[in-house]
Amino acid sequence: MTKKHRQQSLSAQLANLRMDVDSSGAVDSSDASLDETLNQQRIKRSSRVRSIWWSGIASIVSVILVLVALTLGYNVLGASSASGSVTIGLQLAPTNLDIRNTSGTALDQLLIGNIYESLLTRTTDNTVSAGIAQSWDVSDDRLTYTFHLAENVTFSNGDALDAHDVVWSINTMMKEELQGSTQIEGFESVEAPDAHTVVLKLVAPYSQLLWNLSGRAGIVLDKDARYDAKTQAVGSGPYELSKYEPGFYATLSARDNYWGTHKAQTKTVTVRYYPEPQAALNALTSGDAQVIAPISSTLSKAIEHDSRFIVRAGEDTDKYVLAFNNASGPLTNKSIRQAIRYAIDNEAIIASRGGTDAALGGPIPSLDPGYEDLTHVYPTDISKARSLMREQGYTQEKPLSLSLTYANTYPAEIGQQLVSQLAKIGIRLTVHRVEFATWLSTVYKNRDFDISLVDHNESHDFFQWANPQYYYGYDNKRVQSLYSQAMQASTDKQRDELLAQAARIVSEDAPADWLFNYRVMTTWDRNVTGFPVNLNQTWMPLWEVRVR
Amino acid sequence: MTKNETTKNDTVRNGAVRNGTSKKVMNKRMGIILKSLLTRWDGLIASIFCMLWIAVSIISLVWTPYALTFTDGYNVWSAPSSSHILGTDGAGADVFSWLMAGSATELLIVCAVAVITAVCGVSGVAVSVSRNSGVRGISVVTFDALISIPIIVIALLCAAPWGASIVGVIIACSFAYSLNLMRVVRPSAITAVRSPYVTFARYKGISEFKIFWTHILPQIIPSVIINVSFASATAILAESGLTYLGVGVPSHIASWGRSLSTAANFVTIHPSVALWPGVIITVAVIMINLLGDALRESIDPLTNAELRRS
Repeated sequence: MTKKHRQQSLSAQLANLRMDVDSSGAVDSSDASLDETLNQQRIKRSSRVRSIWWSGIASIVSVILVLVALTLGYNVLGASSASGSVTIGLQLAPTNLDIRNTSGTALDQLLIGNIYESLLTRTTDNTVSAGIAQSWDVSDDRLTYTFHLAENVTFSNGDALDAHDVVWSINTMMKEELQGSTQIEGFESVEAPDAHTVVLKLVAPYSQLLWNLSGRAGIVLDKDARYDAKTQAVGSGPYELSKYEPGFYATLSARDNYWGTHKAQTKTVTVRYYPEPQAALNALTSGDAQVIAPISSTLSKAIEHDSRFIVRAGEDTDKYVLAFNNASGPLTNKSIRQAIRYAIDNEAIIASRGGTDAALGGPIPSLDPGYEDLTHVYPTDISKARSLMREQGYTQEKPLSLSLTYANTYPAEIGQQLVSQLAKIGIRLTVHRVEFATWLSTVYKNRDFDISLVDHNESHDFFQWANPQYYYGYDNKRVQSLYSQAMQASTDKQRDELLAQAARIVSEDAPADWLFNYRVMTTWDRNVTGFPVNLNQTWMPLWEVRVR
Repeated sequence: MTKNETTKNDTVRNGAVRNGTSKKVMNKRMGIILKSLLTRWDGLIASIFCMLWIAVSIISLVWTPYALTFTDGYNVWSAPSSSHILGTDGAGADVFSWLMAGSATELLIVCAVAVITAVCGVSGVAVSVSRNSGVRGISVVTFDALISIPIIVIALLCAAPWGASIVGVIIACSFAYSLNLMRVVRPSAITAVRSPYVTFARYKGISEFKIFWTHILPQIIPSVIINVSFASATAILAESGLTYLGVGVPSHIASWGRSLSTAANFVTIHPSVALWPGVIITVAVIMINLLGDALRESIDPLTNAELRRS
């Protein structure tokens, strides 16, 4: 009986969290006595109210005290940063350091020009300049390139760098089809007549060769060094890798015995990865990092009036490509593609992102060869778009359903704006924001999409439009022949003209809409100088970085 | 002492239900419950809020100040103004319209979770206090094992094959909260099962289902109500959390969680856009809990003297 009784009062307590039923008067069927009990409880409760209030206030105060203590402690700890060292906050981390087997521009960004060096280098406006090869000659038939290497070049492990390392690097890359091997089209052979001369022969002219040799295709590795390329790196660059924690940070130390003119100005540079934009901003304001690239223009509003920091937008080759499926589905219809291009208000999208990005009407951005302003090809013109859609039998009342698939690393706002803009011309767009891996398998591999959105940040990537096998499914013989002519062009001027001609045809065909040319915003501490503003997501030489 | 009297009271009550006058008595009881609900301050406020919520949801199905497809790229993150009462978000869409439309989604989720939790939870309780000791034992062990599965895992399991969807949120929430309900309500059901009147009913050969329906269910209704209201309130929080993680409501459907998550990335720059969904979620959660509390107190003869006198 007592056990049951206890259970009953327990269940009553469970049921009524606000009432403390004590066992003496728990369950009594007489109304009067029950009311009496409840009255007593009410009195008890009111006497308890005060103590509850006090304990409530005490707990709130203690929570506030703990928070204040934590914040102060965090700031005191975070504010300490040693001189002669800079921390750079980036967003996308490479999965490992194996630059010959792993794709992704995060590796180029971290390693090329800092730890590894290529045969040639680039300037901030994306043109080729001398690197390990101090000069070069091109034969009249543009099939033989002779590179004259600098003397006394050494790797960070002390080994000398000579023509044999260059030949070995290019040969193994081509033979094993490593990353960069596709960038030497028409490769025939590479030889070293002496220790400081390299001769590269092609079977057909290739006008993009020199630029490609300033990137992955031209990386010179030490043929005698043995190391784990996933976690270590031995190159001839101004820095050597002293510490690497995959996904978190890489510490670069200046080499004392660096051979060239790009000698590092700062002893230690730590590259730290912050996948969360807000975390990156916090790191900057707390002093944990002195440079953040990229920072979204919305977040940069938080520090634009802070005199400690400088915010700049750089020129880049990032193209936000809203690609249509040109191979199957409703968008094989050119009129609908054109209607979409007329309907999209690129200026409004750019404005909503803070206005720093540049309008882009075609496949080639301003820093790449063959650029021409094509924004006038499809100006925003809703009535023209509507009439094109009406001709195809679609109106706002009877809309065409399309889906847009893109990785959730790109902002949701873009999708929402496109839904809004296309609704006006009779297209009901459904947005699927998915994991990047899902995008890769459904869109990029299986071509199962209507519309896709990706930031194609590579430079010199017009080949995508000349390749019908690419996921766009864009097949235009004229563009393909113009592109191959451009690749075999004898002068840069001729190449640029041919590429511009091809780009204009692509833009007119409307196989995609180029939403904008993303200009990466970089912010840095006023005391830091020499961080590259242009192209720093693919090409980030850090030797000039200096802290006052 | 008290036991027998409660028993008598209960048999009287159940006797009345069984009589021909049961409908009249039920109606009268409903009236009393409703009256005492609306005379309590918490019950009144919560009821008004829920009415408003339902009204707004219905209106939002046919009208919102701006269409959900409206965006204005030149007017993003704007502060509240006469044209946009709660301002605009990062795409230039009207925050108020999206919150309004979100209230319908939220209402659907809350109602579905409440109904499914109540039905599944009470059925689970019935199984776990069944006469067959084998069934009883197995069910208790099973519930205890299942209760350890976190809600997010269930949501992920639902989202993997079908993608993010409202149904996934409802399934995940109902699953977790039904188990919670079984766990919490079972002790009071056991108390009822061990009472002499259930023994007597079983002795008379009345079916197990009928015994549960007429003798056990009325005993556990108050704690069921509390648990269901808690589940509905927590479902709102779960929806926001799951949507933020990308496994809840898909982004083209309005929901409070979606409104919150679109603002979350820039909460330090534009706190007000995150503030509104935050406020509405908090208020809704509090109101549902108040309503459950008030309803429980009005429906339980132990705490509602008027109901006892009827």
